[in-house]
Amino acid sequence: MLKRLIYILLIIPISCIDPYKIELPQGEQLFTVDGFITTEPGPHLIKLTRSDTYGSVFEGLIRPVIRARVAIRDSEGNVTFLNELANDGIYATPEGFMARVGVSYSLQIELQNGRSYTSLPERVESVPEIDSLSYRSVKFNTNDRLIDLIGVQVFAHFKDPSDQTNFYYWRNGTSTFVLVANPELHTLSPQHPTNPRGPDPKDCCAICFIDDASKIQRFTLASDETFNGLSQRLPVLFIEDNGLRFKQTYRAEIQQISVSSGAHRFLRLIEQQTNLTGSVFDNPPANIRGNIVSLDNPDEVVLGYFIAGSIAKKQIYIEREKLEFLQTPRIIPDDCLTVNGARINPPSDWNPSGN
Amino acid sequence: MIKKLPILFLLFLLAVSANAQQKNIVGRDIGQLKDIKVSGRIIDQITGEPLVGATITVRELTKTEITTTNGTFNLVLDRAEYTLEIRYVGYETVIYPFVAVGEGRINLTMIQEDFTLDDVVIYGRDPEKNIRSTDMGAISISMNTLRELPPFLGEVDIIRSIATLPGVSQVGEASSGLNVRGGGADQNLIMFAGAPIYNPSHLFGLFTAFNPDVVNDFTLYKAIIPTKYGGRGSSILDITPKSGSLTNWGGDLMVGTVSGKIGFNGPVIKDKVSAKVGFRGSYINWLLRSLNNPDLRTSQANFNDMNGILYGEINDNHNVTYSFYRSYDDFALASDTTISWTNMSHTVSYQGKFSEKLSVNAIGFYTLYDFTIFNQSGINNFDLKSGIIDNGIRLNFTYALGERNRITFGGDTKNLTINPGELIPGVVNGESTILPQLVQSEYARESGLYLQHELELGEKFGFSYGMRYDLYQYFGPRTVREYAPNLPLNSGNVIGERTYEDGELIQTYDGWGPRVSMRYSIDSKTSIKGGYNKMYQFIHLISNTATIAPTDIWKLSDQFLKPQIVDQYSLGIYKNFKGNIFETSVEVYYKDIQNVVEYKDGAKLLLQNNLETEIIPGEGKAYGIEVYAKKNLGRVTGWASYTYSRALRRVITPFEEEIINNGEWFPANFDKPHDLTLIGNYKMASNVSLSATFSYSTGRPVTFPEAKFDFAGNSLAFFRNRNLQRIPDFHRLDLSLNFQLKGNGKFYDGDWTFAVMNVYGRKNPFSIFFADQPASPPQAYRLAILGVPLPTLSYSMKF
Repeated sequence: MLKRLIYILLIIPISCIDPYKIELPQGEQLFTVDGFITTEPGPHLIKLTRSDTYGSVFEGLIRPVIRARVAIRDSEGNVTFLNELANDGIYATPEGFMARVGVSYSLQIELQNGRSYTSLPERVESVPEIDSLSYRSVKFNTNDRLIDLIGVQVFAHFKDPSDQTNFYYWRNGTSTFVLVANPELHTLSPQHPTNPRGPDPKDCCAICFIDDASKIQRFTLASDETFNGLSQRLPVLFIEDNGLRFKQTYRAEIQQISVSSGAHRFLRLIEQQTNLTGSVFDNPPANIRGNIVSLDNPDEVVLGYFIAGSIAKKQIYIEREKLEFLQTPRIIPDDCLTVNGARINPPSDWNPSGN
Repeated sequence: MIKKLPILFLLFLLAVSANAQQKNIVGRDIGQLKDIKVSGRIIDQITGEPLVGATITVRELTKTEITTTNGTFNLVLDRAEYTLEIRYVGYETVIYPFVAVGEGRINLTMIQEDFTLDDVVIYGRDPEKNIRSTDMGAISISMNTLRELPPFLGEVDIIRSIATLPGVSQVGEASSGLNVRGGGADQNLIMFAGAPIYNPSHLFGLFTAFNPDVVNDFTLYKAIIPTKYGGRGSSILDITPKSGSLTNWGGDLMVGTVSGKIGFNGPVIKDKVSAKVGFRGSYINWLLRSLNNPDLRTSQANFNDMNGILYGEINDNHNVTYSFYRSYDDFALASDTTISWTNMSHTVSYQGKFSEKLSVNAIGFYTLYDFTIFNQSGINNFDLKSGIIDNGIRLNFTYALGERNRITFGGDTKNLTINPGELIPGVVNGESTILPQLVQSEYARESGLYLQHELELGEKFGFSYGMRYDLYQYFGPRTVREYAPNLPLNSGNVIGERTYEDGELIQTYDGWGPRVSMRYSIDSKTSIKGGYNKMYQFIHLISNTATIAPTDIWKLSDQFLKPQIVDQYSLGIYKNFKGNIFETSVEVYYKDIQNVVEYKDGAKLLLQNNLETEIIPGEGKAYGIEVYAKKNLGRVTGWASYTYSRALRRVITPFEEEIINNGEWFPANFDKPHDLTLIGNYKMASNVSLSATFSYSTGRPVTFPEAKFDFAGNSLAFFRNRNLQRIPDFHRLDLSLNFQLKGNGKFYDGDWTFAVMNVYGRKNPFSIFFADQPASPPQAYRLAILGVPLPTLSYSMKF
């Protein structure tokens, strides 16, 4: 914001944000829990890792914690054991395991080195249904004057129940879009002995379906402090137009999840950290405390959170012709099936006209 | 014989005038020999404005007087010949020989030396004041001195200039708050014409919201604060407006890169009532609207401020001043959220002199600060309003027991009303999707009674001691939570609520604040001073950012948030060289602060009815050494100030989850141990001068992540202990060239200033932050506010 202010003030950009090389202390290897269970049938995944030096993957490799004994205990006395499928620190609940509204859950972990940890109990609260979803095409300025950030803002419409305090967490589920390629523009390889880069049109395939895989999971938070009992239309997801996603139809799935007030606070601190801009309006860095404690050493710092919440889901089909702003399309001059993860058949429930 | 008296008298007069030749006779001769009262006024010859703070030295008596708010002074003399020497910063010294024969008046004019002399004088009000007075850490600067400094975006800036003084710093390049001797930004009381001003900044602190043209001078008290001031812990900045000319009308005009200003002043009733108005505004909006970029065209960044001063003279000894001040800002990005704030104050002040010994100053003020965020994004539109209203009176008596023996006493009281926040939902498509919210308003009264005695014992010793009693009352209506004893204050530990009626007393705090200082003069050019000071502060700036942002919340002390108490010990040695051309000082201080506010991790401050659940009381200490050397006179003038200081915080609570940094001392956000400022002004020719400012300081503290962890696909930083690392050191050079063009009324006639900030283009980091952005690894980023050399040009003229 401050940077924009000065930009406006002087019409010429004088302030700048650039990566800065600093010596960071050797990171501690702190035990980290990333766990989320919902009222959907499982499997739900719990990831156990150890923190490392802040920086790129080469500076601090986050290693999985393997061969731990992981169980979920509920307030009715049931214990569910989780299985590590491969030696990757990811532990899965049995198929069909689902959290139930009104029940509290806690995560229990025993590591190979004998140390045990537990989460504080998380109670599952009910969540209102999403009445409908809508979307709008949006454009933002970026720090680079020549590049605009273009994308689609998805709104969730729901009615907040007035008889309870609700904390909301929205994330995107599996999103799928139509991958449009131009196999007719395919060319031969530059190393081709007789005709490098010569035209080599292919017959197939121009249209595929692909799941959207993005590394950083975006999420949105809200608490009903400001709207208890009212009908809401809130922006819950921004999908950036990367030149491929909106060449035809994009199906987004929105998951509306109720979380506990502790989890909400934890997620809010994460959100705060991911929204830093370095300006005077930034909140200072905060210690993000989770709900996991060590049973052997109460002073041990354990990172992460075990969240249990109920979930409501809805899908929306976003059509290219309804978007006002579009990024310059990216051309794939080849068979769309050559793109990793692309498939020719739509998902079984693909129904854009049912929007 | 009796008939011949008038003739004799005439003859006598002739004789005296012949004898004195150039000597002026003052007074009507009725044969009085002693206690002849001579009053006078010093005004600017060209503009007719009274000159406040000029020194009048009677050479024969080595007696010095300083002109008061309307440029007047009073002397009590015996019948004799005298020579007056009148000095004022930026003006040619006037020598006025005269004979005092009876009670009378002297009206003198002074000419601004500006570009007529080769030398520049940057004395304060009195060249030897630093040595002789018992004041410590009090710095007065007149606007003429300020004009010799390099401007910021085309204008001299009061707050930024104060930050060049020893012991005063700012968090960064775009921050409006001052940190004085390790105190927080809320520990400074900024007063304009006696009324407190809460957020005197334009554009989030890029400019100070005081138009330099309507300011006469300002004084910063940072060590031993006179007992007449109270209510803030670290410093008092008292800004005095300038009154208009009693003799002729005039005006000034300035055109700068982003803003311009215009002012008029003159007599409403000649020699009785004068008026002065000043207006300053930005034309950024006009520039934005002329752009093609639709986002910029719908953006706005508007600010303005206006002043009006009405001065009326009842007679030589009694006068009344009315001062009005208003500053306004609004700022919007691509038109969905507008942030706007207003400061406004009215002050009426009466100054009276009842006898040679007793004078009275009475002030009544009303001040208002409003802050609003308008959200027109189309999603959950709202207005978020907050504001402060203060009104109060102050009564101050000064009684002179003798030549250098003076008592000041009086009292003050003010009512404070704070509206911490009100959310007003907007209507979208015929319905409102959010609930209105109103944080309970706060009401309090702050009162004080004080006495101060200043005296000198011989030439060697000077003392000043005094006491201030502060009383603070916090009133209803208010509903207050009750928390379970011996548990942290959080929403989970609420056991009840208590409702207080309108006007019902909720909490009272009071305290005695002694202020003592003494001076020992080794010789006429060297002195040692020491002192102790205790201050109480009942208002707190609740801010989770590193500097004053308009989104910050002011909070009054209540039963959870105790007043800040500051104890300060200072010691200094002062020496002037070469007939006061060089002024040097070394001061050391130690400060102890109780009940400073620290924040819980991820505190939620906005629209928070129970702020006690988000904050933690801490303690602070600060200490430092300040070295200052100033050259007052010559072709080259300027000063060097170096400060080594620390500002530390500590939070110890019985509750493990609230302890910060394991209960150890840690640096405050604005702790910058080394701070060096060099300011020089070189008069190159009679109409050209070059000035330069270089500043260096240690980078401010920052928190580096101790580790990286993954959660829900985000790479996150784990922060534990606060403020243990630092951003890189800050240094910057600014240059400005001032030249006066004589055009005999042509358009270019006036003062031109060409300035370059950040000459060598250093990217001084305002902050270092850590982010995991798409397409790059989690890493540190640097935000530099002024990353390139920035030239500005401004033009000003008087008419």
